[in-house]
Parts: sequence; C-alpha cells; structure tokens
Amino acid sequence: MTGLGLVTPLGADVEATWAGLVRGERAIAPVTLFDVAGQRAGVAAQVANVTLPDGPPEVIASWSRTAAMARIAAKEAMLSARLDAREARVGLVVGGTTAGMFETEKLLARLHAEPASRDKRALGSAGGAFVAMLSHPLTATGDRLEEQLGPFSRVRVLSSACSSGANAVVVGAIWLLSGEIDAVVVGGSDGLCRLTLSGFNALGALDPEPCRPFDRRRRGASLGEGAGFLVIESAERALARGSQPVAELAGWAMGSEAHHITNPAPDGSMVAALIERAIARAGLSAADIDYVNAHGTATPLNDPMEAAALAQALGDEIRRVPVSSSKGQIGHTLGAAGAIEAAITALVVARRTLVPTAGLDEPDPSLGLVHIPHVGHKTSRVRAAVSNAFGFGGMDTVLVFSEPEFVPKANGPMLPRAGYASSSIAITGVGVLGPCGLLGVEDCAGLLQRSTPVDAAVDPDAYLDLERARRLDRTARLAAVAVERAAGESDTGTEATGVILGSAFGNVDSSAAFLHRTFLKGPRSASPADFPNLVPSSPVGHVSIYARYRGPSFATADFAASGESAIVQAYQLVASGESQRIVAGAAETRSEIVDRVLGVLFEYTASQTAAPRVDLAAAVVVEALSEARRRGARVLAHITQVLEWRGDGRVAIEALRSPRGERAEVLLARADGGADELIDRTGWRFHPRLVCAPALGESDALGAAAVAVAAARIGTARAAEALVLGLARARGYAIVLALP
Amino acid sequence: MDSQRLRLQIKRLIVQELNLRGRDPETIEDDAPLFGAGLGLDSLDALQLAMSIEEKIGVSIPEGEQAREIFRSVRAIAEHVAKVRGA
Repeated sequence: MTGLGLVTPLGADVEATWAGLVRGERAIAPVTLFDVAGQRAGVAAQVANVTLPDGPPEVIASWSRTAAMARIAAKEAMLSARLDAREARVGLVVGGTTAGMFETEKLLARLHAEPASRDKRALGSAGGAFVAMLSHPLTATGDRLEEQLGPFSRVRVLSSACSSGANAVVVGAIWLLSGEIDAVVVGGSDGLCRLTLSGFNALGALDPEPCRPFDRRRRGASLGEGAGFLVIESAERALARGSQPVAELAGWAMGSEAHHITNPAPDGSMVAALIERAIARAGLSAADIDYVNAHGTATPLNDPMEAAALAQALGDEIRRVPVSSSKGQIGHTLGAAGAIEAAITALVVARRTLVPTAGLDEPDPSLGLVHIPHVGHKTSRVRAAVSNAFGFGGMDTVLVFSEPEFVPKANGPMLPRAGYASSSIAITGVGVLGPCGLLGVEDCAGLLQRSTPVDAAVDPDAYLDLERARRLDRTARLAAVAVERAAGESDTGTEATGVILGSAFGNVDSSAAFLHRTFLKGPRSASPADFPNLVPSSPVGHVSIYARYRGPSFATADFAASGESAIVQAYQLVASGESQRIVAGAAETRSEIVDRVLGVLFEYTASQTAAPRVDLAAAVVVEALSEARRRGARVLAHITQVLEWRGDGRVAIEALRSPRGERAEVLLARADGGADELIDRTGWRFHPRLVCAPALGESDALGAAAVAVAAARIGTARAAEALVLGLARARGYAIVLALP
Repeated sequence: MDSQRLRLQIKRLIVQELNLRGRDPETIEDDAPLFGAGLGLDSLDALQLAMSIEEKIGVSIPEGEQAREIFRSVRAIAEHVAKVRGA
C-alpha cells in the first residue's frame, strides 16, 4: 500500500483525520444537513464543507456529495502514491451504498407521488431531474472519478452494504494478483442521507446520543459519512519506482453468514472463520497480530458477536491484543467504513500508534476485550493488524495489514502472477426468469428460435418456498429463482458458493415510496422491514440467506452492463482461487421512475426495434473446472477470455482472440450499432450475431441472460464458441465461451 | 370493538405486515407464542409490527422489556391495546 486518502468528519485529509483520531475527538453532533425532526436519533458525524470540483452548473449538478468526497480522497491517495493513471495499467474499485441518494431524495418522493402525466412540470424543462438522477446510481461515483482522475484500465463499482469499502480492497488485490493490473485505487464513499437515518432509526439501531462502542451503556450506532481510498501495488513495483510502502495488505477473507438480513449470527462463527482465514492467508498467526480495528458499531447485537468471534479466532491472544472502534469518533460511514477503517488500520501499523475507542467510559465486562479508551498512544511496534467490516445480509470481510517486509516473501499473497491461478473456469448451470418463463439449459439454448410474448406476467412465487422467502422483495425473489435454477436441484456442497448480482440503479421505486411515506407521515412511519431492501446489495444478501450460500457475496453496478460486470467479477474471483464457485448474473424489476426520468438515455430507446421493458433475472454458475469435475457437475462451457473497458472499446477489443473454428457466434443483449462496429474490428465479424431482446424483452439484466444463452447453446452443441459483447454508456465487456 | 374482533384485526395485521402468505389469520391461536418457537417471528418482525399497530390501530408499543411482554401473544397485544384505549 503506497498511498491513502481520507475525507472524514474529523477532517478532509489523512493528517487532519489522524490527528483527530489520536486525540480522541468525537465528530458526532446534531445533524444540520437536513431536517431531523421526529427522528429517534438526530445525531450523526457529518463532513463539513464538501467541496465540488469546478465546472459549469449542468456538470456540477451531476455530482453528489458522495462522489465529491470520493474525488478528494482518491486524489489524495493517488498524489501520496505519486500515481498517474496514464502511466500504468491502473484499476479503480469503488464501494458504496447511498451514492446520490441525498441529492435525489426529494425528487424521488415527488416522482412517487405525482402521476407521470405531470412530468413536464415536475421534471422541469431544463431536465433538472434528468441530471440529478444521473448522480443517483452507485455507478455515478465511479464515473465521476474516471472523468476526474482517469482514464483507468478497469473500473468496478460494488456494494455489500457496510462491508462495501473492504470488498473494494479485496477486488483490487485480486486484480493485482492476476498480473493484469499494475496498481489499484480502491476505496469507498458514502454520504449521509435521510433514507439511511430514517431506516436505521426504524430498526432501532441508532443511539440518540453519540455512540459508545463496547460500553455497557451502548444503545446503538451513530451514522457518519466520508470516503477512504488506498493505492495498492506490488511491493516489487513500488520499490522499483522508488515509492515507499506505508504498510502491506497481507491477507483478507470474505464470506456470507447466510443468517439474517439485518441481524448478525450471534455466535460469530462465520466472522471468526474469516479472521482466521485472513490471518492464515497472510502467512501469520494470532501471535503476530498487535491490533484490531473492530467493526464495533455499538449496537447491542454487533459488539458481543464481534467479541465472541475475536476470542474464537485469536484464542489466548485476545487477552493481549488491543481492540478499538473508530465509530465512536467518525460514526458508521456505511459503504465507506470498510475502506476508511482499512486506511486507519494501515496507519496504525505504519505509525506505531494505537487509535482509541471514543465514548467508551465503562467497558462491558462481558466482552472480555483489551480496550484503548478515550485517546490514542504510541506503542513499540504494530507488526500486523486486523480490520473487520460486516454488512447487512451478513456479508463480512476481514483485512490484515502488516509492516512492509514483516511477512516472509514466500508466505505472502502479494506475488503478482503472469496470470490467474487457474485458467480453467467453467459455466456449470444457467437460469433465466422473465416473461419467457423459467428457463434452464435446454430452454435457454432454444430460446432464440422461438417467439415468446414479452408481456406475460412474471411470477417468481410459483417457484419459491414462500415461508423462507417472506422477507424477499420482488427483485430478490426473481434473483432467488434464477439462481436456484442455475445452481440446479442436484447441487450439493453449496456452503462455499458465493453470489454476485448486478444492479443498474438499485431499488429506486421502493426507495421513492419509502421516502414519500417518511416525508408525509414523519420518520417514525419508516418501515423497518422495507428499509433493508433498499440497499443495492439487498437481493444478493437475500439470495445468500435463502440459498444458504456462504461464499463471497456482493452486488456490482454498471448501468445496462451490470450483469456482465457481475459475471466478469465472478470469473476473476474464481480464477484467482478466492472462491470455488459463484452464481453470478443480474435481477432487475422494471423501474417506472428510471424509465420516466432516464428513459431517453438508454441505447434501446433509440432503437427502432426496441423491446418493451420487463422484469428479468438471469444467472450462471461460474466454477473452477477442478471443482466441477470433483462434484460431477455438467460443464456447459469454458470461459476462455474476458475483457472489460471504459470508453469506446476500440483499443481494448484489439486484444480479443479470434474464434478457433467455424461454429462460432456472437450473442448480443440488444441490437446495437456500437457493438456491430466493434465486432467488425475482430475475427468474429463473419460469424452470426444473435440478439436476445426480441425473445426476452428489454432489461438491464439482459446481458446476464445473453451469457446464459451462450453457455446453454455451447452446452447443447448448437455452437462451439460464443462471444458475448455487453455495452452500456462508454463501457463494455467481452466474455468468450468455448466447448469444454 | 369487542376483544375477539380486535384479536382478529391484530392477526390479519400480522399476516399482512409480516408477509406470512398462505397463512389464514384465523388459524393463529390467541395464546400461541409469536416469537421464537411459535410463529417463528424475530426482532425485525417485532419492529415492523410495532410500527403498523401504531399506524393502523393507533396505539403505540413501548420499547424494551415492556414490548417483549406485549408481543408474547395476540391476546397480550389485544390486552395492551384495550388498556391504552380504556385509559
């Protein structure tokens, strides 16, 4: 790790934040950003004076506070690492949950309440709503950073609720290990908003007073906001260019509890297993750990669970290792927390200074932890340290940082390879649910030959155990059905399976309904059951709980190519050995508001043959070939090449290998002139092009369906090779599949 | 409103708000435990139920230990509602 950048309620850079942390300052105060009348807890940790970049008003209107904080922190990280995105293959990974929610809350509530016929007045002639909505999706944060600090070789935007920032770090590390990327800028950013404050208050998860992690009087969390970014590169590359490593990202582990959408599994066994795995991955043992930066939310449930997990993972060392939570100072920064606290943990190692748990006056004796109350202090050495991050739906991630050179080279994970650990990655199942019905391998393979009505009702409940599925909203239900179909009835040993699903805009219509209700009737009418369904990673969390998958789980966001981004991400995780099997794809419920406000934006509306928008879910099982063989799974196709790019793709597509034989075909989500132009530049130009939209309907999940159809066609010998080309605004993915 | 009708109203609210699809409200017993072993509800359901009882029936449920007592069964909820209304 050669650079870092922070924007926190304690200060707008690393040094101001660090000074406040060590002094034990608490930034939690009454919220002034918006009206908090009627909120059970009205305090939070705000970032003062978020500065937007310079530019004309119509450009600035597309910036959220989340994106603005991300820009400041990512820029600081890149400057401190002396990293220029143009001088190397640099990747960007951004985690988050709220993105432009704060900027669009009032608009969403109004759009929910007003009929579409009044849009001309409601939206304004200058397209104010249009521009504001562009700041809304998670992808916007990545896009703004790409514009300001790029061009990056790769951009990924992901969400796993409150572990998003930590998962961004892991994804970046995996890219480095592949040898395909030289350096990564990874982190998270989340701005405070009415939706999260009302929602966490509805869950009774917030303390009306500033929070007190690990204290016997703790009554809940305090929300915060901010951004944290890290620059990570291989030690060899850092030394070669004369860059001084701050600390080393030595190990990590991610997994899912598959327990409950809001509550942690009380025994902490999953978290304990992840801490053990992360330490082992670093080539270290509990005896090498000198500090833990806890998730430490100060809720009655989290702190005992986390203490139990630490005791289980660290054994007797728990009596020696100091533990603190930064949330008593900066609050719970949600999607940014994992990255901000990773940066803090790395600084603790680098500066040999422990940071405190502020607000901890009377330690809860039942937790059995060694605390650092009130203020920080110097210590002789911090050889290695653990940073925990846990998210809604039980998506947990543990990071381990160490002093540079502390981990013996032979043990460390940070040795870039010439490629991925495994090049044999298979697709072993497909599932598609939409107006076409529920499709498995045979149906997907034959799909494009038949003509199906795309206005048929989609009923996921017909395929679900309704009792087990009662908390799942419609998008999660669609996802669960497609995922289970892909995984297959004979699937065994699901324990280690992960799930990654794309979500272009998150749950816009339900968020609008939730906001309208809370604005109209007051924050106390906010539904605690609905709130967890509003985070973009909610379908992933629900699916992992429903299907009892305990592998890595998160959502990716990349507009109409979100499904492709999820499948490519799954490929990268499996190929790097991080996971044996991931079910990946996308599930999208048609959003009336997105269609109304942003409809003109999308490629398909310009197309003469545009299909109607439908509810659609599609998933494929991405699996290591060795694992597929071990369990005797049917291998439909191999993934033989994956490309991804920002921009028009003309340069990136040059790396696409030509098909090996004649029986090759190109699968496209929708008819697209841009895709045709790219294909004409490749060895695939004379092969048939098959388009999915006429048979399936239009959806942001269509790209995932195209991959499912391609795999099914190869698996049933209709084709020997297939290229799936997925494009959205200035970004694209190419996924090549071939016969086993 | 007589107590039996109030209990049925609460049962309907439970089925609707907690999305217990397929469950006939009339089959929920007055004294059956709602949480844990009984209907299998948990703390998130309790929060949702408290919010909807406040909204639909107009009676608020206190937080903490008292809520635990009130949410013991449909009968206990009905008794709490009747008590607040009678006061």
